Amino acid sequence: MNRFMRTSFLAILALIIGSASAQANQGRVAWVMNFDGDWNVAGGLPEKAMLISLQGLANRDAPRLYIVHPPDFQWEITGPVFEFYQRKHHVDFTDVATADDALTLFKQYAKGYVVWDKTVGASLNVAFTIAGLEDAVVVSADLIALVEQHGLTPIDDLRGRYTDMSDAEIYQDAYDRYWDRCIKDAVMLMGGHRGRVMQPAMADWGIQRKMFFHDLSANPIHPVELALTKRLYEEMEPGSTVFGWHPYGKDTEEQATTLLSGYGFKMEGLHNLPNLSFNSQFTFTEGFKFTNNHNVERNAVLQAEEKVYICFVQSDSIGIGVWTKPGRGLLPFGWQVTMNWSRYSPAALEYFHESATPNDYFIGGLSGPGYMYPNHIPADRFPLLMEEANDLMTLLDERVLEIMDNSAADGNVGNTDLTKETVDLYYENFPDVIGFLNGYGPSRTRDLRDTRPMISYDYYIDPKRPREAVTNDLNELIKLNAKRPYFLLVHVRESNDVNSLVEVTKNLNGPVEIVPVDVFLKLAASNKTYTTRYQDPDEPKHFEGY
Amino acid sequence: MKNTPFRKIALGVLVTLWCTVSASANPEIAGKWQLDIPRSSPLSGWQDMALVIAVDGTEVEFTHQMRWRRTNYRATNVVDTSKTVTSDAFFRVEQRHMAVYPTKGGLSHTTAEWIDADRTLRTETQTMVEISQGDVPMRITSEYRIGEGAETLTWIALRSSRDRPLVYVFRKVKEKDSE
Repeated sequence: MNRFMRTSFLAILALIIGSASAQANQGRVAWVMNFDGDWNVAGGLPEKAMLISLQGLANRDAPRLYIVHPPDFQWEITGPVFEFYQRKHHVDFTDVATADDALTLFKQYAKGYVVWDKTVGASLNVAFTIAGLEDAVVVSADLIALVEQHGLTPIDDLRGRYTDMSDAEIYQDAYDRYWDRCIKDAVMLMGGHRGRVMQPAMADWGIQRKMFFHDLSANPIHPVELALTKRLYEEMEPGSTVFGWHPYGKDTEEQATTLLSGYGFKMEGLHNLPNLSFNSQFTFTEGFKFTNNHNVERNAVLQAEEKVYICFVQSDSIGIGVWTKPGRGLLPFGWQVTMNWSRYSPAALEYFHESATPNDYFIGGLSGPGYMYPNHIPADRFPLLMEEANDLMTLLDERVLEIMDNSAADGNVGNTDLTKETVDLYYENFPDVIGFLNGYGPSRTRDLRDTRPMISYDYYIDPKRPREAVTNDLNELIKLNAKRPYFLLVHVRESNDVNSLVEVTKNLNGPVEIVPVDVFLKLAASNKTYTTRYQDPDEPKHFEGY
Repeated sequence: MKNTPFRKIALGVLVTLWCTVSASANPEIAGKWQLDIPRSSPLSGWQDMALVIAVDGTEVEFTHQMRWRRTNYRATNVVDTSKTVTSDAFFRVEQRHMAVYPTKGGLSHTTAEWIDADRTLRTETQTMVEISQGDVPMRITSEYRIGEGAETLTWIALRSSRDRPLVYVFRKVKEKDSE
């Protein structure tokens, strides 16, 4: 097809896009682009940033553009969910091959363009903010000619505006110019990768919803940035959500999450979580009801034998890591579901549900209705947040809540314990769960009240640790914890694979049984061979926060 | 108390033994040793380790220089080939991805001796660790084997709770490299 015919064809398609948006979920048309893995600022990033901004605008009032990422992208499920949309929602996708084609199809949703400065990374975030407010596509200088060919005109140009300015100064300027017009129940912490590689795949969502974009640090070594972050949070609505992820190299996940938890906010990441502007506009398919693979009745009473009971859980948010790796289904496995996806990505949750094997069991998390550190949630916000979490767990047919507070930890090691006050609050606010899991790295908060145990991870499987060493570690725990039954809860870090764990389990010593999460908790309620323990104020805390 | 001939002999034997032990401390173990990661058991929860060893008579002081991401941690254990050393802060190179912690307030007791013609320092520590079922004892037997030419140091640690030893191979850090 020559260029004229191709452009004409795409233009006709563009005319029908508007009418397509009025269609119901079932049987709609949409478009799909396939991204490669090049996110280099000097390579593929500028075009991707433009397309993602266009996606946010095109999807503002209807799901029109979906992006499929390569299988090795951190969110490995874009392909399977794309297939799910076709099969279950009967979405008829048309491929969009190039950025030029995408502009032909979707330029009608943009009023112009904003230019970011490739030499100032933060300017991309400011441009995203402007894109949401002004309906602009985001371009670098070398893409101006392309968008102008499609009749788009300049709305703003950030080249030179932020030269030699610090991030704090840049975002203060953006705050002064744009913050008042941005929504106040959500903000886009567009951090993550910085420098030569950036992955702002979640920007479509922030643009669609007119969020303020930034990558301010929560690290006290950046006091001006920290102060501005606090100012944003103080001016946001109660119960707000921080989308995105903390900026690598400026602060830590622990610092950023501790800070937002202190405001009673929820974190929803990562910065490269794609397609929320598309996914959020679908509901579960008609008649679908989320039903978990419960292995025991809620009120069942089990009796543990003199055995070692092992339970595997992956808690790095379902959708990254183990789910699509070989071997899933060979072992009973617990999967922490990011419960908010029932609002933002119902199709993804439904996909997980339909592709679950009988050995896959879903649990709620993380700590509440989003990722947050409960030791820092204000007491007056806790019941409201946990009511939200309870509702989500009911919707998702989940009976186990996973908790994680890394505010005093150092990555996946260190102090991940809950204070007694926090434990009290969980027992009070979750009367219907069958139990709680706690930790990320190993932890030692444990309790049993009525029939609801709270068990912490005794082991964290580092995906890089040789399997022989993992086997020896587990055998050592089994030897040290000599009372039977022994309840050994294992956190399987994302990017492990189940096949390798099958080999590990074959080489464990003693009367070992691998059980699903719900069975594990019921058994742990029957014979408390573990101590009751909470965070000890005397224990060291690795905390470099404010 | 009478100073009998027998007591004199016994005292003489003890002094001779003490002198032997003192004199046999191998000074080659002293210095800074950097972990050779590819040749060692994998660390877990630590990313790097160096040992700084000092010898003072019968005392051997091990300072562990541990690194995890941006965290640098220092911990020192002292052993003595002439007596049992009791410590309330014994440092174990633990696998930090396991819920095995030093018992709060627990005391550790360590003995040490030079063996193999003073090429190896063997230590044995009785310590307490906290696990999910409470506090339990752990015995750690270590051998620090000085390689030929004192270029390498191999630390073999066998724990009563683990059937396979952990083997850490170190290379001597030349003074000019450690500056």
